[in-house]
Amino acid sequence: MKNPIWENIIIKKKSVLSDTMRVLSSVPIFSDLDGKELIEVEKIVHRRKYKKGEPIFRMGDPGLGMYIIVEGAVEIIEELEDEDCKHLVDLEKGAFFGDLALLDEAPRSASAIAKVDCDIIGFFRPDLLDLLYRKPHLGIKILWSLAKVIGERLRKTNEQLSNLQREMKVCDE
Amino acid sequence: MNNAPVSPAGQINKTVWRIFFILLGMAFLFLIYPYIKTVVLVLLIAWLISMLLNPLVDYLESIGLKRSLAILIVVIIILGLVVLMVAALIPAVISAVESLSAKLNADMIKGLAVQLEQLFEKNLNNAALARDLIAKLQQLGTDMLMKIGFFLKNAGSYVAFVGIVPFVTFFMIKDKRLFKRMLISQVPNRYFELFLNVLHKVGDQVTRYIQGQAIDALIVGLLSVLGLFIINLVFDHPVPFFFFIGMLAGVANMIPYLGPVVGVVPAILLAILSSPANLGTVLIWIVVVFVLVQVIDNNLISPLVVSKSVNMHPITVVIAVVIGGNIGGVIGMLFAVPAWGIIKVTMKEVGWGLRNYKLR
Repeated sequence: MKNPIWENIIIKKKSVLSDTMRVLSSVPIFSDLDGKELIEVEKIVHRRKYKKGEPIFRMGDPGLGMYIIVEGAVEIIEELEDEDCKHLVDLEKGAFFGDLALLDEAPRSASAIAKVDCDIIGFFRPDLLDLLYRKPHLGIKILWSLAKVIGERLRKTNEQLSNLQREMKVCDE
Repeated sequence: MNNAPVSPAGQINKTVWRIFFILLGMAFLFLIYPYIKTVVLVLLIAWLISMLLNPLVDYLESIGLKRSLAILIVVIIILGLVVLMVAALIPAVISAVESLSAKLNADMIKGLAVQLEQLFEKNLNNAALARDLIAKLQQLGTDMLMKIGFFLKNAGSYVAFVGIVPFVTFFMIKDKRLFKRMLISQVPNRYFELFLNVLHKVGDQVTRYIQGQAIDALIVGLLSVLGLFIINLVFDHPVPFFFFIGMLAGVANMIPYLGPVVGVVPAILLAILSSPANLGTVLIWIVVVFVLVQVIDNNLISPLVVSKSVNMHPITVVIAVVIGGNIGGVIGMLFAVPAWGIIKVTMKEVGWGLRNYKLR
């Protein structure tokens, strides 16, 4: 016989699990992972809720890891000297940020603030290092994807830089 | 940018309440401590063992074994080794007690009493003091026997204690990440990254420290065993149970400055009790062996395997050991230095976190 109390709890738990895995699989860094591997990652990520206006991390904080937006929107800003700040970009549901911090502890180059109430997944460097030691095959797959994402970004930055240099040259001439 | 969810006054109010509840919780823990002492001890020992075994489990997992199976294999192997050692040790301890009681027979004690009485009468002109001293010694003997009886009566609970530790250790290793995530999920967002970072750094350093101490204790123990074994070969077995004594010296070595002294005393006492012909030479060689082991440990082993992040001043060590002894007896003394090491590393890393994170 069905018990409505347990039924609700089980359905709730299942939906949370599948939701986290679904979001993870949509992120390029985890998109190559199969179901079993996604379960392993799901075990080590942190899911958190932020209220509107709450900082996720601040510029200058030691970098610790990356975040993926499950629900809501996040504003990336640069904090300037006199308590002023410069808006850089708004990130929506499904976007990820702070991925460079998976590689080292260098200070954050910008602040991330919840634009509305947010539901966010955090994936951090110490857990990635632990995964690399325990499950090297899975760890390498994640690192490889991370390298591809960073490589792609570098290529785009190079393109923008050369475009800018070309424009400057034209201006000089 | 800063649409702060809580006003500054509300934030202060919240902080005051939080501190109040933390203090209330601490007072409650202090009150119930006598009732949960055993549970705390089981958790502490299981946690220390899990720290030691975790790298082995992680390694087995990295070569493709399931985590539960890897833990089971490691725990069974370690338990097997412990059972083998205890099984080898019990007959040795029984025979030691028998030989000791044969040496300390009633006639010997009576003879000692007479000698003491004469000595006190001759030198201090006070035979009554000698009789008083002997009566106190006899009382001490009776007390010790009663304590042994009490220990034997409670042997069942000790066995249960020993049985619970591997069980708790198994789940501590298996669900380590789950426990960590549960703990982290309770941390407010503003401290989340700071807490996570500090927790990982502290965990990393404490693990390295405890593993380093264990490797150091094992090597010092084996070197002491080797030294005593050579003495036994050369001088016709003046140190019985040299394996046990050597390993004990290794464990005692975990207490800096005091440990090496604790290690050498049983070896000297046993050598005196077995009274070999060349006792003086044997005693000198025992001291030489332990000094040599200390020189090797301080100059070769320790710098390589023990983390430098928890270096302690000798006075700090003595204070920690005395406090540990007051709280938990011999086990408390043994855990005092690692516990202080953990507190020191935690304070250092929390300080680093507070300096580097912008707490909003």
